[in-house]
Amino acid sequence: MNSIIFGGLAVLSLFVFFNLGKVKASKKQTDRDNRINRFGKKKPDNIIEGESEEVIDEDK
Amino acid sequence: MSKHSALNTFGRSANPAFTRGFEANTQSLPLSEQMTLDGAVNKTGILLSLCFTGAIIGWNIPSLIIPAAITGFILAMVTIFRSKEKAGSTAPLYALAQGIALGGITLTYENQFDGIAIQAIGLTFGILASLLICYKSGLIKPTENLKLMVGAGIGGIFILYMVSFVMSFFGAGISLLSPTNGSLMSIGLSIGIVCIASLSLVLDFDYIEEGVEKGLPKYMEWYGAFSLMVTLVWLYLEILRLLSKIRSR
Repeated sequence: MNSIIFGGLAVLSLFVFFNLGKVKASKKQTDRDNRINRFGKKKPDNIIEGESEEVIDEDK
Repeated sequence: MSKHSALNTFGRSANPAFTRGFEANTQSLPLSEQMTLDGAVNKTGILLSLCFTGAIIGWNIPSLIIPAAITGFILAMVTIFRSKEKAGSTAPLYALAQGIALGGITLTYENQFDGIAIQAIGLTFGILASLLICYKSGLIKPTENLKLMVGAGIGGIFILYMVSFVMSFFGAGISLLSPTNGSLMSIGLSIGIVCIASLSLVLDFDYIEEGVEKGLPKYMEWYGAFSLMVTLVWLYLEILRLLSKIRSR
């Protein structure tokens, strides 16, 4: 009985680890000001979304 | 003056406050060369499999405990202090060596207390999964204070182990650390050590998560998996010792 309960717990826990481990942490965890900063600032994305606007040179 | 001519006249800002942090972006890696959560979890799976394989060997040949433990320790030191880049080759060897040592140690405990091994394995993975749920959901938030607290705790435990190790050369030892000491003080100390080891797991999860966010290189998947393995091995040994103390009462 002892082996079944603890063996089952181990298998279930490993299943949770291999599935949940691949999921990104919640916003509550990642969007915090007091996070540990081990690797410096976050790199900005290469793609910048936004609208383009034509610039008119008024001096001419 | 137009925006373009202003830029042409004065150039881009040289203020370090604006440019700092963006320098790293010029060297950012392609997505295929960055570490991922999938990769780190899969590599942890590989290391766990190797550890179990090693444990079967160690269970059948217990005389390999000391050479395997020393090899594992050396490999861990090399991975941490010499070559994180080569974690892909040192971490699997570490897992195998530690597995052999753990197999032999587990057999020693199992001979004294029947069924203790499966209890320790179940509890170790149970703690791993429950803390992962707590971390992912944001229930436990790793901060600099938590890191300091865990670091100080690990430092204290390390000194305690070292004192006990040196005392063992003179035929003495710290009785609180003995696996057969079933006193409340001794069990309390073991519970404290298990708590510190468990909180180290949370810091490992955060290390991997942050590494993925910051786009660290692929080899850091191995390093993250290795960090988890080191903590899991420590946690397992402490749970074995705690269970042994409880059974000795």
